[in-house]
Amino acid sequence: MTGLILRRFGFAAFTIAFVSLIMFAAVEALPGNVCTSFLQRFAQGPRLERCIEQQGLNRPAIERYADWVAGAVQGDFGYSLKKRKPINELIGERFANTALLGGLAALLAIPFAILLGIAAGVRRDRPLDLSLSGAAMLAMTIPEFVTATALIYVFAIVLQWFPAVTIMRSGMSFMDMLPNIVLPVLVLSAVLIAHIMRMMRASVIDVMASDYVQMARLKGVPEREIIRRHVVPNAMIPALNVIALTIAWLLAGVVVVEKVFNYPGLGTLMIQAIYDRDLPLVQAIALIFSVIYVGVNLLADLAALMIDPRLRRKAH
Amino acid sequence: MKKSLLLSAAIALASTAASAETLRIPHELGYGGSESLDPISPQRFYEAIQNMYSRLVRQGDDGRPSPDLALSWDASPDAKEWTFKLRPGVTFHNGNAFTAEDVAFSLMRTQSETIDSPTKGVMEIIDHVEVVDDMTAKVVLKQTHADFPLLVMDYRIKMLDAETCGNDLDALCEGGVGTGPYKLVELDALGTTTLERFDDYYGGTPGVQNMELIAIADQNARVVALQAGQVDFIYALSAEQVPLFANDPNFTVQSVPTGRWVGMVMNTTVAPFDDARVRKAIRMSADRDALGKLVYGKGGFIPTCDHPVWSGDQYRADIACDRDIEGAKALLAEAGYADGLTVELFVSDISEGAVKMAEVLQNQAKDAGITIELVQAPADGYWGDVWMKEPFFATGWSQRPTDQILNEAYRSTAAWNETAWNSADFDAGLDAARGELDFDKRKALYGDLQKELWENGGSFIPVHLNTVRAFSSKLSGIQPVEDFSIRYEDVTKAGSDS
Repeated sequence: MTGLILRRFGFAAFTIAFVSLIMFAAVEALPGNVCTSFLQRFAQGPRLERCIEQQGLNRPAIERYADWVAGAVQGDFGYSLKKRKPINELIGERFANTALLGGLAALLAIPFAILLGIAAGVRRDRPLDLSLSGAAMLAMTIPEFVTATALIYVFAIVLQWFPAVTIMRSGMSFMDMLPNIVLPVLVLSAVLIAHIMRMMRASVIDVMASDYVQMARLKGVPEREIIRRHVVPNAMIPALNVIALTIAWLLAGVVVVEKVFNYPGLGTLMIQAIYDRDLPLVQAIALIFSVIYVGVNLLADLAALMIDPRLRRKAH
Repeated sequence: MKKSLLLSAAIALASTAASAETLRIPHELGYGGSESLDPISPQRFYEAIQNMYSRLVRQGDDGRPSPDLALSWDASPDAKEWTFKLRPGVTFHNGNAFTAEDVAFSLMRTQSETIDSPTKGVMEIIDHVEVVDDMTAKVVLKQTHADFPLLVMDYRIKMLDAETCGNDLDALCEGGVGTGPYKLVELDALGTTTLERFDDYYGGTPGVQNMELIAIADQNARVVALQAGQVDFIYALSAEQVPLFANDPNFTVQSVPTGRWVGMVMNTTVAPFDDARVRKAIRMSADRDALGKLVYGKGGFIPTCDHPVWSGDQYRADIACDRDIEGAKALLAEAGYADGLTVELFVSDISEGAVKMAEVLQNQAKDAGITIELVQAPADGYWGDVWMKEPFFATGWSQRPTDQILNEAYRSTAAWNETAWNSADFDAGLDAARGELDFDKRKALYGDLQKELWENGGSFIPVHLNTVRAFSSKLSGIQPVEDFSIRYEDVTKAGSDS
């Protein structure tokens, strides 16, 4: 059991290392470098040489990669020339903002989606199921920037209930932030709920048709009890992976949603960094996203191990 | 939970309603939060400094310098010494009096090696500043410059309080103490920066009590913020965004010409572009009006004849450059390309509309027997790998006054001489114009230089771009001038809520 967990951790670490290598190589392969992208038209003569010297760009790529990794492991991502600030400082508060947005969306969406999925699965093909499934299809197929724009139009421009974009003021409390978060969280949760609910529904339907549920019914166990004790725990296992995948999707969704709502998170920072060709910052944020992605999948694996004893036994 | 949401929504609404005495302007967070209140910093917080500080001279409605902190000025006959008479009784936000000492300090610090300001190159023309008396400053130049007041009209050359800045010429001065219509309450570049009206402003009491500069990095987000009433004003609408506000009585749309341009550059020393006839043939094949409409939309541009001087500049020459396919063909034949000419044009998504412009030119030049093959270069590293390296490539420039742009882009020794334009006569013309104190003669000299560029130059500059802004109809007093020149102190906001 411990060996199995350690192996999963090892594999996750390897994935992150590999991703970091690819990212570094990709940035290296771009034409130009940090200095030419920062200096633009001024990238010539002594100014360029000075910048290359200061950034240590004259050293071999392997050495710079090693330095970057060593820094990143210790939580130091270097310096953004464009923004004249250490990258850690830039990322810090933004990370908290994104975590608030993503966390709130996940926290609201996951339990809600599971409940809806169970309800739809149990009442398969009845009006409740049909309307929920239909709504889920809509939420899955409409891109989130369209949903976001529609919500902004209705609730911010026409009704003016919520602000259209987030405007930060110093000394804002959580309550001040709240109206700003409502619409972005709604957009993000809509997609999360749709995906998780559909998986949960399918999974519940599967389990409902299984022999042990039939058996329990024949034994006379009340339907309520069957669903609580037999259906839900077994249906959760496949749903867990989907939950992990959708949380990973959340990372991409958050970038789009933050941009649409001018929300000061990692996503808007990343888009700005790409636009500015601020390569060290892009690298840092991409690495953080990949760590979260791998981490969430790792958690899902571990959770599955906990719920499902069979997985534990299968390993030597 | 639901109740508290509704409650906070109500609070949000209430705070919107209380904004009648606050002018809310978005800023695009160009420096990601490291915006500086020092006007000559490379990261200058433009929207804030515009309202907190004043210049010696500002742009008049005719494009010529008009008094601001200097009431009058005159030059020695060789245009090397400029004496500025200052406005008396002006105070800084901290109560200090504005004097000639502050002028000397503010001008000389632009040359600091340590600050390395973008204004350094231009302002290095100043040798020293003499403080004649409290209200008189004499600027001594290293060389003749008949248009020196234009240089101090730059939106970054603001007057700072020498005492607040510790009289240190080599340090950034970010305290925000100026003589402008608004004074700083709180700087929060990532969020909302607050200014309030300066009651002792020498130009009279500003029209609105408070000003908020709100960080919104994304243009689409700025657009919805204006629609939702979270801001009062937005800059730089794209052609697609104009219809959102154009027919809505709640908003006013204003289109104003600027000096920005996107163009194509031929290196005048590389074949076939070393032949002036080839260059002119390519330029003559363009229909500038049609090109402008296709690339920037109707009302988004002002046609230009391949020189960089824009329509609002006092020295702009009147040149006709209608499309002339027959003329272009004749020139090509004369140059030995009677059977047509094929050239490669390097282009990238570096400036608004650059790629689209190249495609339109490609189509228009076809009629004159010129085949332009477009080479798409990556935007990354474009300025190092393609710009001024290939024989024919795209470029983009921001607005500059005549003297500055001609010297930066066409003087034979200039670092950014992108057409490799090497003409002793042209350089001599630049010097002559700088030395000519008579306005009409100077205008004629600059006019000749522009005509020379149209006849023989290597730049294809079909249009200058307009900028379109939209604002709440509650605002009045926003002048139809370029962004740098808007006088926010004259803007008022209607008090009633919609």
